[in-house]
Amino acid sequence: MTIAPENTETEVPEGHVKLVVDGEEVIAPEGELLIRTAERLGTVIPRFCDHPLLDPAGACRQCLVEVEMNGRPMPKPQASCTMTVADGMVVKTQKSSRVAEKAQEGVMELLLINHPLDCPICDKGGECPLQNQAMAHGRSTSRFVDTKRTFPKPISISTQVLLDRERCVLCQRCTRFSDQIAGDPFIDLLERGVHQQIGTAETADIHNSASHTSSGTPFQSYFSGNTIQICPVGALTSAAYRFRSRPFDLVSSPSVCEHCSSGCALRTDFRRGKVMRRLAGDDPDVNEEWSCDKGRFAFRYAAAKDRIRKPMVRDESGELVEASWTEALRRAADALVAARESNGAGVLTGGRLTVEDAYAYTKFARITLRSNDIDFRARPHSAEELDFLASSVVGTTPEHVSYASLEKASAVLCVAFEPEDESPIVFLRLRKAARDKGTKVFHIGQWTTSSVRKTFGELLACEPGGEAAAVDGIAEHAKDLDAALSSDDAVVLVGDRAAEVPGLFGAVTRLAERTGTRVAWVPRRAGERGALEAGAVPTLLPGGAPVSDASARATLETSWGLDSGTMPAEPGRDTAAMLAAAASGELDALVVGGVDPDDLPDPAAAREALANVGFVLSLEMRPSAVTEHADVVLPIAPVDEKTGTFLDWEGRVRPFSITLEGTGALPDCRVLDTLAVEMDADLFTQTAQAAWSDFSRSRVVSAHQGSNPDQHSRPAASTPDTPDGTVRLATWRQLIDNGSLQVEEPHLAGTARDAVLRMSAATAERHGVTRGERATISTERGALTLPVEFTDLPDDVVWAPARSPESIRSVLGAGHGASVALSGGAR
Amino acid sequence: MTQVPESTVFDADIHAKATEIIGRYPEARSALLPMLHLVQSVQGYVSQEGISFCAEKLDLTDAEVSAVATFYTMYKRKPCGEHLVSVCTNTLCAAMGGDAIYKKLQDHLGENGTPLGHEETAGTPGETGSITLEHAECLAACDLAPVLQVNYEYFDNQTEQSAVELVDALRKGERPQPTRGASLTDLKSVELQLAGFFPEDEQFATDVDGPSAAEETLRGAKLAQERGWVAPAMRDEETR
Ligand code: FES
Ligand code: FES
Repeated sequence: MTIAPENTETEVPEGHVKLVVDGEEVIAPEGELLIRTAERLGTVIPRFCDHPLLDPAGACRQCLVEVEMNGRPMPKPQASCTMTVADGMVVKTQKSSRVAEKAQEGVMELLLINHPLDCPICDKGGECPLQNQAMAHGRSTSRFVDTKRTFPKPISISTQVLLDRERCVLCQRCTRFSDQIAGDPFIDLLERGVHQQIGTAETADIHNSASHTSSGTPFQSYFSGNTIQICPVGALTSAAYRFRSRPFDLVSSPSVCEHCSSGCALRTDFRRGKVMRRLAGDDPDVNEEWSCDKGRFAFRYAAAKDRIRKPMVRDESGELVEASWTEALRRAADALVAARESNGAGVLTGGRLTVEDAYAYTKFARITLRSNDIDFRARPHSAEELDFLASSVVGTTPEHVSYASLEKASAVLCVAFEPEDESPIVFLRLRKAARDKGTKVFHIGQWTTSSVRKTFGELLACEPGGEAAAVDGIAEHAKDLDAALSSDDAVVLVGDRAAEVPGLFGAVTRLAERTGTRVAWVPRRAGERGALEAGAVPTLLPGGAPVSDASARATLETSWGLDSGTMPAEPGRDTAAMLAAAASGELDALVVGGVDPDDLPDPAAAREALANVGFVLSLEMRPSAVTEHADVVLPIAPVDEKTGTFLDWEGRVRPFSITLEGTGALPDCRVLDTLAVEMDADLFTQTAQAAWSDFSRSRVVSAHQGSNPDQHSRPAASTPDTPDGTVRLATWRQLIDNGSLQVEEPHLAGTARDAVLRMSAATAERHGVTRGERATISTERGALTLPVEFTDLPDDVVWAPARSPESIRSVLGAGHGASVALSGGAR
Repeated sequence: MTQVPESTVFDADIHAKATEIIGRYPEARSALLPMLHLVQSVQGYVSQEGISFCAEKLDLTDAEVSAVATFYTMYKRKPCGEHLVSVCTNTLCAAMGGDAIYKKLQDHLGENGTPLGHEETAGTPGETGSITLEHAECLAACDLAPVLQVNYEYFDNQTEQSAVELVDALRKGERPQPTRGASLTDLKSVELQLAGFFPEDEQFATDVDGPSAAEETLRGAKLAQERGWVAPAMRDEETR
């Protein structure tokens, strides 16, 4: 059939088609699914399996509509979630077709045949697409009179995710999510016919035979919680939330995840002052509709029994005892003033602060303590890193590199960065880009990790510590990568582990200048990017101007209302230098935010410094290795109990407001503001709002940004030879480990990846390690014994998780790139 | 890449055969169906080790392999007997006596008054004379109904009595000749053939090359020929 264009009233733009839906003429982009076209017209076709972020499946048949093509009606109603628009199509939904309506009612009746009527005790009841759509589109009664199919209920498909099979309508959203989005096809459709059900290899194993040795893999995924959220019925529930609450008793509050720098929008649901659950929020620019299991489930730390709720001071007998705010603040103020007037005090903020809180620490250090001794980096760090952050990171916004640019990139190179463990939403975006758009993802690392596999990536393997040389070698040894990086849309992502590799930032800078590729830094913690911007580093002011820049200081003195020349001009000490100074008496006091000594480059030295320094002020939520040594402890509020802003890795502003009001917990910025008043200074950070507006007004942007002459000349360090009999250690943290914000979550902990020692078969043989045994890595400091798994690591390299369960740095006093001894034979 | 852990169940020969099967396909995962027959040829059923073996060889997860292994009825999930006896209970055979044969065999092979259930085994799995019984959907021999199969070889035009005689012979360790096709071996050997590995002896070749159509199969065609009946020609695309 030809359509004479002169008869067409509405122009059909290029790449579009014209069709009629429920009697209304619509222009739709080619390839659009009918269900979406109808949605745009305001007609919601009922559906279960359809999900805009999953590939179409047509599994549930709930979305049937009548379709006419070329003037001929199709013989049967069609699934509108799989059929795309076509020119001249006539579509009738339930709104205008009795056939479509009846078909939908029929499917609904069929789906409900085996669905139990347990809505009153089901977690989903009240927010259930099946319940809602059965009311809106179902028959009022069922004709089914026989016994419903039942299953023993529930089965746990992981420690966190439970499955009630009789509730399942087999839409396969969960299996499709796991396969397509997360790349973890550990659940699938099992059995056939009336026995068809979702399960894992473990649940499929109905028969425990004599020869049965392995129990099959459970649903092992960092993203498993999303399947619970997208389940359109109550078939998947979480062990943490099951039977805890009804949706209509909950109050929902939009929030932002405090764990990593992905910046996920979340939704926090609470009831009577207690957080009951968290769900992924919907933010197409950031996390789309997903979150990782850590962000979803790790929130109970704030309700931990040992939460510090009152100030504490150390009494004469050396015990920490509760005290009034007045007394605690007085003690802290006196000690800090004394320190300031003597050798000075240093500030370790930790990497988990909001911008507002970090900014308060910045002002507190500069104005109240009159020092640049402040550093947010509670992890291995370097001067090179600081130079890199100053020249290439501070001040950048999503216009530089964003999630969208990852999706558009023709090539992405990950350097010293393990996306799935360190920034799971960046990982999901890389996987999406690679899977849907053909983005080539390259990884400079040590072995074919799940991040490499699931981003369809290419590994450029190097020794731990040899990353800088590998980056420098790209031009010569990886010509395809070099060419790929030279295209306009290529991106390099650098992880915070880069600080452990001498010369790596220099190599990355050289690479960027040679190829013109954009570089983004993806720190592991949520607060790092914001703390950098807020000036919580020894060399930069809020906004990124260098401390050494007199005019920048002068500008800041004006906006802060300080007398001219009062800002300290000398760059301060970094974390390691502060701790060394504190240990040797060159600093008299430390002000410590949320820092865990086990994360620091040398935990033993850090503990010694905390023990030796004259005075320790700790701002904390729960007892820690820092409060053990603290002279004064001031309680601060967790994210649920305060307002604030995170900056994600893109530099995107992620504001959130308070979820639980009236708990009396104070944010760091308020505590520091009050303490400063005791010390006769005014920070203007009484509230997050005040701190943010002061910050926005006062930031001094660096004039030198984007240039960093020092960086180029830094040679890539060649990795020193490993002494005889030793191997080189590669290590980073797994997403779910023994981090302090993951306490009180046994179900989540059960989904952590096993802690294993990875090495090649050749390495094992050379060092007397046999398959199936445990092996030990050691230094003169200590030893760590773990089960062995053979992996494609370079020879004489071992990999171990950094904090699963123990802190490698604490036990071995060594980190990524160090030489360690390897021996086998342990049981 | 993860290495295949040394398995006590699958020896070097099976590893080599797996490699051969995978080599037959452009995509490794296409090899899953014959691979499952291969592991079944070793253990007489698809065990968890069998599932993991396939998963590792084909770079799939255990769950993905389980999904396939639990979907197809030819993959057994409990250890089977030396022989698999499949009685057709689909419509035509059922009406012609298949249901009665199945019931008879259940009672006959059951013990202490308990009939043998679907996919249950008389005797000890793996031992000579042990039999796993199942009811099956249409075995594509409706013209010879009621039929049953032993290790997928046909026994046509059965009666309750002939079926009982057949299983009694099997229980004694005998291997009666099927109505057509190859001679009886055992389930595991047939599973190996299903995986695409055939015995090389001449007897096998003549057996399987022999005629498989019976008198009944051709009766209709013969009648049509005699009377000059032809099927109406396919209507061409005029309806479009
Ligand atoms: S929503 Fe269309 S078939 Fe499920
Ligand atoms: S019905 Fe039994 S072979 Fe077809």
